[in-house]
Order: sequence, then structure tokens, then C-alpha cells
Amino acid sequence: MTKITKRQLFTGAAGFAIGGTAMRQAAAQALPPHEAELYAAAKREGELTWYSGQLSAESSEAVGAAFTRQYPGVKVNVVRSTSQVAFQRLSQDVRAGVAQCDVFSSTDISHSTFLKREGMYMQYRPKNIDGVLEAVRNLDPDDYFHISYLGLYLMAYNTAKVPAADAPKSWKDAIDGKWKNQVAIGHPGYSGAIGTLCVLLRKLYGWDYFKTLERSRPQIGRSSQDPVTMLNAGERTVGLGVPIGTTLYSMSRGNPIELIYPTDGTLLVPSPSGIPKNAPHPNAAKLFMEFAAAPGFSKAAGEFFNLPLRSDVPSPAGSRPIDQIKLVQPTTEEIETGVPEIKELWRDTFGV
Amino acid sequence: MIEPATLIWVALIVVLLFLVAGPMLKLLAVSFERLGSGTFTFNNYLQAYGRARYLEALGNSLVLGVASSALAVLFAVPMAWAVSRTDMPGKALVWFVVMGAFVVPPYLGAIGWILLAGPNSGVINTVWHWISGTDSALVNIYSFPGLAFVIALHSFPLIFIFVKSALDLVSSEMEDAANILGAGTAAATRKITLPLVWPSILGGIILVFLETVALFGTPAIIGIPARINVVTTQLWQFFEYPVRVEVAAAYAMPLLLITMALIGSQKLMLARKGYVSQTGKGGERRPIRLGAWRWALFGWCGLVGALAVAMPLLVLLQASFAKAWGRGLSFDNLTLNNYTFLIFRHEMALISIWNTLWYSAAAATLAVLIALLVAYIVNRRLVPFGGVLSFLAMAPFVIPGIVMAIGFYAAYAAPPVALYGTAAILILAFTARFLPIAFASSTAALRAVHPEMEEAARILGSGRLRTIAQITAPLVRKSLIGGWLIVFIVASRELSAAIFLVGPKTRTMAVLLYDLSEAGNFEQLAAFGGILLTITMVLVGIGMKLAGRDFMLRRM
Repeated sequence: MTKITKRQLFTGAAGFAIGGTAMRQAAAQALPPHEAELYAAAKREGELTWYSGQLSAESSEAVGAAFTRQYPGVKVNVVRSTSQVAFQRLSQDVRAGVAQCDVFSSTDISHSTFLKREGMYMQYRPKNIDGVLEAVRNLDPDDYFHISYLGLYLMAYNTAKVPAADAPKSWKDAIDGKWKNQVAIGHPGYSGAIGTLCVLLRKLYGWDYFKTLERSRPQIGRSSQDPVTMLNAGERTVGLGVPIGTTLYSMSRGNPIELIYPTDGTLLVPSPSGIPKNAPHPNAAKLFMEFAAAPGFSKAAGEFFNLPLRSDVPSPAGSRPIDQIKLVQPTTEEIETGVPEIKELWRDTFGV
Repeated sequence: MIEPATLIWVALIVVLLFLVAGPMLKLLAVSFERLGSGTFTFNNYLQAYGRARYLEALGNSLVLGVASSALAVLFAVPMAWAVSRTDMPGKALVWFVVMGAFVVPPYLGAIGWILLAGPNSGVINTVWHWISGTDSALVNIYSFPGLAFVIALHSFPLIFIFVKSALDLVSSEMEDAANILGAGTAAATRKITLPLVWPSILGGIILVFLETVALFGTPAIIGIPARINVVTTQLWQFFEYPVRVEVAAAYAMPLLLITMALIGSQKLMLARKGYVSQTGKGGERRPIRLGAWRWALFGWCGLVGALAVAMPLLVLLQASFAKAWGRGLSFDNLTLNNYTFLIFRHEMALISIWNTLWYSAAAATLAVLIALLVAYIVNRRLVPFGGVLSFLAMAPFVIPGIVMAIGFYAAYAAPPVALYGTAAILILAFTARFLPIAFASSTAALRAVHPEMEEAARILGSGRLRTIAQITAPLVRKSLIGGWLIVFIVASRELSAAIFLVGPKTRTMAVLLYDLSEAGNFEQLAAFGGILLTITMVLVGIGMKLAGRDFMLRRM
């Protein structure tokens, strides 16, 4: 599995021509042959169920609606939760021997590598994947899963309560004693991205980082988005590991929040989706994977300030150009072994 | 020819075994099975109790149960006494408060109290900061006392209902006797009246304790930020990958033992004393004149009402129309977006409302039907061993809802029954969970109907079933509607029994609310809660029309 570098994120031009063609065709209401074929089959299935822990509830619904607008007659049942809960639901399905999920999306890449290893994913390479940024294209060389969400996780602060000059500059700053009772963070037992963040921070600073954090009594939510609500309300003043989309969206609605791009690195979480082998609506699922790689998906998610997967869809307003951000990410192997350890360590340190 | 009653008796046994005994026995069996192979092992118990953290969660739940029931007694008993025995003004208001606290789902109350008592931004603390000039918190909802308090605010109606109906039966003569011997009102109440209704208080305490231990939503919403792990959130962790139903089952067993011990000790505590307050001589009941004290009592009822109903609902209402609830009441903070999102842009929200309504209606109908038949057969002594039936119908009363749900998952999720993800598994779980409520109300209703009316019909040639349909059922109709509505309301807000059983298309409002609560989006949660409450209110209104204004306050 290849690690995404910043350079790769910005050399997606190769796919641009194809992407542009696909877009024009969609605009002309004539689907490319591969989509038309899938659409015909998907219409007979009528729907698909999408377990997702990637986009926020509101943007997931918007994406589902955009899909049905583009492919009338195929409904999307959005089951949005945190990534670990989505995986828990999938595991419960498996244990009960019932197939209900057509597309599985999470922010914890180890879910997808596990499902691939266990032979529970279907191999499928969307044709439209040739149009996405080069770096996003080949997460799994065997095509069992593909990136459907590029998560940037960073910090934020409440501007009404903290002057810009005093705001923490780095992850390291945030555990300073002066932020006692001020910090909010999600939970690695629920949020896949927070699990990945913990793996990163443990790698950078050791588990002592979290022991120190514990002493300043952070407010622990479940989703990585939870701190944004806490900041909006002024309940807490510094949020750790908040997703850029939800934060920018909240800022656009007039809440007194500002992003912090940590000097020790903004966390990049390339998050995959895949089709379970026993998906009850396999054609609709494949069509959805095509859609995820097409402009329609990136545009619908972009309305909620999420990063596009394609160069022909503009980046969200208000975000720093990605080539000016210092990006960091743990390797897939580090996440696979790290997250289960982190969950235990976290619960021992924080009690929940 | 076989009496139809015998056939129904057999059918009921089968139904009750399926609904109640099956899941519980499966749970017990699974707790001794090795994950994967299914061979016998004690290992699940070692895993379930092998970590200090898991034991701590159990301890937290027990302390929380005790604390919440103690607080609930504190809220409820003075109110019940005031309404039943005194000349306190505004009794109708108390009725409204109790009803309101019962109807508001506990997790919604929890969100309301986060908005009220969040340490930095909660309304109460903001006002306190302004008055005191400090920035320290007056009240902090994210704490153990905060958690116990919020739970008690939504469970005290159970104790109120129990105690009030018991107090209604105590005649003034006993208090008069104490007064003649020189005791004042306070002493007579303390030494005579309250001890006489002690069995009801104890029954209420046990019920609140069980409800608290089984509660999932409130501990997830308040307990996680407060860093308090309890049994239910721990059970949830056992369902993380790999799904360890076996360990969860082992972990749940002591809960069942504790419950049985509680019921046992209740029997012991009540065994050696007499609590007879109803005798053949019709006692007179006069309201106690309290003088100025009646205003103090009224104040207490008003305070509980403000804490349990008025304050949380007001902040929820504000939040549901706000862009960001922390920005308070201002014109530029006003939006309808939270409602329009749920109604027009959230595919699942409307479906979940529909699901909630029809699952709850189906469960209430099934529960009342089964309960009525069981109650009838037991009451009229139509078959030998009717006691087995009533035992099975009452058993879920002492099984925490979340434990029952895990039993259902273990027994009926996978093939051969294969109910996972269907509406049926939710409806059946709700039916089983709330069967005791329906049974208690049916029994009470049937006791009030003398068999002679049925006998008259039988003599005139009517069969047993026709007699029930045309004579008995119409006579108990009001009580049945009341019982149906109570089951409907508690089922419509049930979270802990649903959380392990829902599929993508069978999510109920409570589950969707729980999913939405993960991201902490209180504005949307408040709007969804508003929709849920509006629906419930409409139904309560219909219930009052059909079953009488006090249908929820009669002893269940």
C-alpha cells in the first residue's frame, strides 16, 4: 500500500482529461457506457445501503441525495455513525449471518485491509477512478477498496474566548497545563480518525502525551466532530483532531471558530470504501463506487467544505491550499497494529 | 372437545417461552460458550470480570442506581404525599409535571441539561458567571452527581405513581389516632403514613434502580464526557469487533443475580410486618390542612417541575431554532434549518418516525393482547398452573432492557430464526420488555369485573371467546386503552433494547437520535426531539380523551 505524499496530491493532472470528459457527458445526461450498464442493473435493485463513518451526517445525506438525483430510481439508505460503530454494525451483521451493507466506508483503514484479508470484500475497480487525483487512485493495488474521503484533521479554537496570539500552535502546545479544562477531543473507540491521530501522536511524543493530556481534563466526545459543537457553544476553547470540513462549515455559519494548522503536522487520513462480497445490491454498490470517483460526489461533499478527490472540483473556500500544509500520516501497518492498542491504552488512561 | 381456553393456554405458553424464556435461556447458555467453536468454557466470565475497568463499570452502575433512586424518592414522595393527603393548591399542575417528566425521553432530558448545566456555557452557569463575576461553574452536568440527577428527574414519576396510589388507600383515621395521642402532622406522617406505604416506596425504588442500571442513552451522552463508564456502555464495548456476545452475556449475568437479590430482599424486608391499610370498615379520608406549609410544598412541586420539564424543554426549544445554541437568543441566530434538514433533507428521519410509530403500536397491541389473555386465564382460574403464565409475563419486569436485547440478539438474530435487521425482532423485543406493564394493567382491570356478568352470557349460550369479546372486553376497554398507550409511549422512546437489534432500514427515532448525538450536534438533536415530543403529546391527548385524564397515573 502506498503512502500518499503531498507531491502526489498535486500531480493529478494526468486524470484530468478523462475526468473532464466524464463530466461533460454527465452534463449532457448521457451516461458513459459502463455507468449506463450498471445503472440499468442498479435500477432493478432499486436501492443500496451505505454504512459510513466518513462524512458528517448532513453531508452524507447530501451525497446520498445527489446520487439519487444523478441515478433516479436508486435510493441510498445512509447509515451514518462513527467509523468504529459502523464497523461494529457490520460485524454484528456478519455474526448474525445477515447481509445488509452494500458499501462500507470508514476512516480507519485497518477495517478495509482486514475485510480484504478475510475475503469479505468484492474486487472492483471503478472506471471513473482514472479521473481522481493520482495519489488517491491506488490505495489498494488489488482494487478491493478505494479512497472516497480525504480527511484533514487539525486543531481549532474559539476566537471569542482565546486571542489568536495565545492559541496553541501545535499538538504539543495543546497539552500545556494552561489549557486545563479547555480542550475537547473525540474518542478512538468511536472515531476512526481519532484512532489514527492517537497512533500519530504516540509515534511523535510517546503515550506520555496522553497522560499529560489527561491531567488537563479534556472533554471527551465520541465523533471527531463533537469538539466543533463544544467550541461553537464556548463550552471548550480548543478542539483537537477536528475534521476540516465540519469546522469550515461551522465557521461559514458564523460561529467564532478558527482553524489551527499544527506546526508539527496536519493529519491526513485517506479513508477507503469497499463493497462487501455478500452485498445485497451489488450493482447499485458498484455504481456508487463509480459515483464516489466522479465529480458529482466531490461536489456534493464540497458543499460541506470537504476536500475534493478530483482536480476538476475546486477546493473548499477558506482552507489553506493543500500544498502549503505540512501533512503527516502514520503508515497503514502502524494503524493496523496501533489502533487496537490505543483503544485499550486510552480506556486505561481516561477511564471511558 | 377441548375447551378453547386450553388451546389458548398452550399457545400462550409457546408465545411466552419464545418472548421471555428463550432469549434468557440462550443468554445463559451463550455465556458458557467459547467464541467460534461453541464448546463449554468459563473463560467468558474470566474475560468479563478479569479487568479492573470492567468491575469498576459494574460498581459505577450500582452506585448510580442507588443514587438515582434515592434522588427520585426525594423528588417524588413529598409530591405524592402532597397530592394525595393534603390541601396543597395546584394539584393539577403536579399532575402535569409528572406526566411531562414521564413523556420526555431520558436522553432528551440529558441533552437539555447539557445545555443548562454545561460547566462553561450552560445557561445556569452563564447566569451564575454574570451574577458572581467569577468564571467557575456553579453546576457541572458532566459529573457523577449530574448523571444521577438527570436520571432521577426522568424516573421519579414511577415512584410517584406507586406511592400516590398507596397513599390514596390510607384512611385518615390512622393519622387521627396518632394526633389524639399527641403527635403533630409531621410526626404522624413520618411514623404512621409513610411507613404504611413503605412497600410501595420500596417497589418504586427497585424499579428506578433497574431502569437506571439498564439505561444506555444518558450514560453515553453524559457519562462519556464525564468519564464515567457504566455497565451498559461496557456491554456496548463488548459488541465492538470482534462481537463478543459470549462475554457480554457473562457480564450481564450478575445483573440478573442482583435483580433477583433485590426482589428477594424486598420480600424479606416486608415479610414480618403488616401493612394493611384497607379494612372492611370504610375509612374516611380528609385532606390534611397544612396552613402556610402548603405553599412550601407547592414550591417543591414547582421546583421539581421546573427542573424536570420546564427548564430543559425551554432550552431545547431555543436550541432547535438556533444556528449555534451557545450564541443565545438573537435574531441572527434564528433558523429553521434544523427542522428542514430533518424533514426534507434527511432520508432516514421520516422513515424512522414512521418506524417508531408502527413498531410501538404493534408492540403495544401484541403486549396488551397477550397480557389480557394471560390475565383472564389466570384470574378466572381456567387452567391449572396459571401461575406459570403470570410468572413469565411478569419476568421481564426484572430484566434490564439492554440484557433482554442481547438475549434477543443471541437467540433470534442468526439463522434458523434469522430475524436480525427485520422489524419483527424490534417489535417482539419491545413486546417482551413491556409485557409486565400491560399485564399489570390488564390484571387490575379484570379484577374489577365480577365474573357474574360473564356467567350470565354463558348461561344464555355464548361461548367463552364470544363472552370475552362482547362482555368483558368492552367493560375493561378504558383500562386497556390506558395500558396500550403507556406501552406505546415507553416503546416509542426505547433505546437500550433497540440499539443492538436495529438494521439499516429499521432504525427508530431513538436510535437515529443516538447516532446523531455522536457528533454532538445539539441543535439538530433538539429539533428531532421536538418532533418526537410533538408526536407523543398528540398521542397523550388522544389517550386522555379515550382513557380518561389520569390514564398514566393509575397504578401500573
